Amino acid sequence: MKRIATLAFGMFALTTAFGTQATAGPVLDEIKASGSIICLTNTNSPGFSAPDSKGVFQGFNTEFGRMAAAAIFGDATKADIRGIGFSDSMKTIVARKAHMASRSITSTGTRDADPGLVFPVTTFYDGQGFMVANKLGVKSATELTGAVVCAEEGSTTLLNIADWFGNRKMDYKVENIGDKTARLQAFYAGKCDVLASDYTALLSDRQLAPNPADYTILPEIISNEPLTLACQPDQELEAILFWSFQVMLTAEQYGVTSKNIDAIVKDIDKQPKAVRRLFGEKGATSDMAEKLQIPTNWAYSIIKQVGNYGEVYERHLGDSTVFKLVRKGTPNDLSSRGGLMYAYPIR
Amino acid sequence: MIHTNNTTISSPPVKKLGVIRWMRINLFRNTFDSIVTISVVLFLLWIVPAVFSWMFFDAVGFNGDEALCRTTDGACWPFMREKARLILFGTYPYEQQWRAALACLVVIGLVATLIFKRMKVKWMILLWAASAAVFVALMLGNVFGLPVVQTVKWNGLPVFLLLSVFSLAAAFPLGILLALARHQDDYQLLKNLAAGYIELIRGIPLLMVLFMGLFVLPMVMPRGFFLEPLFAILIALMLFHAAYFAEDIRGGLQTLELGQAEAADSLGLSYWPKVLLIVLPQALKQSLPAIFNTLIGGYKDTSLVIIVGIHDIISTAKMAYSDPGWQRYGLEAYFFVGIWYFCSCWCLSAYGRHLEKERAK
Repeated sequence: MKRIATLAFGMFALTTAFGTQATAGPVLDEIKASGSIICLTNTNSPGFSAPDSKGVFQGFNTEFGRMAAAAIFGDATKADIRGIGFSDSMKTIVARKAHMASRSITSTGTRDADPGLVFPVTTFYDGQGFMVANKLGVKSATELTGAVVCAEEGSTTLLNIADWFGNRKMDYKVENIGDKTARLQAFYAGKCDVLASDYTALLSDRQLAPNPADYTILPEIISNEPLTLACQPDQELEAILFWSFQVMLTAEQYGVTSKNIDAIVKDIDKQPKAVRRLFGEKGATSDMAEKLQIPTNWAYSIIKQVGNYGEVYERHLGDSTVFKLVRKGTPNDLSSRGGLMYAYPIR
Repeated sequence: MIHTNNTTISSPPVKKLGVIRWMRINLFRNTFDSIVTISVVLFLLWIVPAVFSWMFFDAVGFNGDEALCRTTDGACWPFMREKARLILFGTYPYEQQWRAALACLVVIGLVATLIFKRMKVKWMILLWAASAAVFVALMLGNVFGLPVVQTVKWNGLPVFLLLSVFSLAAAFPLGILLALARHQDDYQLLKNLAAGYIELIRGIPLLMVLFMGLFVLPMVMPRGFFLEPLFAILIALMLFHAAYFAEDIRGGLQTLELGQAEAADSLGLSYWPKVLLIVLPQALKQSLPAIFNTLIGGYKDTSLVIIVGIHDIISTAKMAYSDPGWQRYGLEAYFFVGIWYFCSCWCLSAYGRHLEKERAK
């Protein structure tokens, strides 16, 4: 009986704990007191986050945990980056066991409606696409009538395919394969005509083909997947994450990189006004720092230690990597070049 | 009938067979046997050279590099040079990995000691407790000036050993108690409780038990007491294995003749001396094959913990080939893990066979 009472009490405590998280808590104070920011990331996502040979998580996603640490502590190494499964990551934040996640989480309405979780800023625009073998001679997904599609069992991928083919009244057949390795094997062995997955996943999957050049990713992107940072509700923390990201975009727009930033700061008076507002001693960023209670030169720390958005993209996904993920003309390009990465004014 | 005169016992006639006759009898007795033999030989002729050329002849040696690996279909051993530590210790801080290595050696040493050295139960318990304490102290830190490493960063072999070895070890005595409770008629409530527990656990899959461990166990903890997921899972595994051990041991208890317990009773032994001196030693001997079955099965089932976000060596092997530069070498990673499993399971079952032989004397 006592145990049942404890159980009931535990459940009650749990629900009330979740219920009261709607108000912004002093999460930032907690982060500062603990000396590091706990950032959840993918354990096995090549290019986005996977441990290197020394067991340190590396990749595009991990850089935003380092960005937050650089802003809050002036030291990117104070990011405590932990690998975690997808469904657990949001639970862990809601249960307040982690401060933020940079884990390719798609921001959706129902997820954001959870009072224990907020999505401050989108770091990557992904979407679902199709990959085919060149020998099929298909140039567009509209030519895929009657195709056999390999996709992951139980994922939103299948729903998106059903929507897309259904809307166009095209016949198709699905080959449900849950395991990724088995799915790729089936596709490369020719058991299905089309491989459907997130666009970026397709790019890294193509690297595993016997001959990557034999496969093409079709231009159609059939769903919107804004991969967004998530964190515990806390106005200051949200502001830091959002504006740190804007610093990375603005720096790219004005050509400030981790390599040239020291020279630029040395010569700050000759720089464009926007750059002076970012890195100047009496710039807008120092006003923000005072209000947010973070180091004055937080913008400098981010660029010096992490880099601008373009650098981070290039380092993990760009031409110098095995993925060679094209950025030009995609939503992930700067808005000035036709993308969706739109730098908010820091003033 | 009793023999009174000594008869000389002659040994059975030695069968002397030539090679061809031996093959005739053992491999080509009839058409079906011949077909099976030829198929097996053909299969071996195909698979053995394939495996050997993958492992050795086409392989790139440990000192090669990744670029060289791309030019061949054989194994890429530089992958193992690069990733062995990641597979063994995962995301445990690199500079501190000697602690993880030492912790693994403590557990392996403990198991080896128990295998090779007979000792009294009380010393065994003491050794287990000491090893567990040293293991946690090494891994967690915060003592002897070792920096703290949170359990979320424990991956690979230490986590695997912790969950498999300690959960099985703790489950064994619990299983004995459950079996004794179920195998008696004096206390019906106790009997029913034990039976109910065993059937409940055996009625649900291990995955559900793991989820219960992760979500329900922390709820029944006293307030303000936070149970680390890793230790919650350790407890869940222990509760799970205990039910299976209980049934193995109950099987042994059932083979015991009633006369054994009655003889003990007539000597005036009370319950515990009777059980510990007469009943259990014989019952355990009878249930050895079943116990080792559960032991090896439970040992291998441990890798299911990946479902609840705990990364054992199978999971770290996957991490190893998630590195963008090394994505092609999953086979090498799993080969390494397979070797580990094979060697450790083989040692366990060899020990089991040895015990059976020894006890049969």
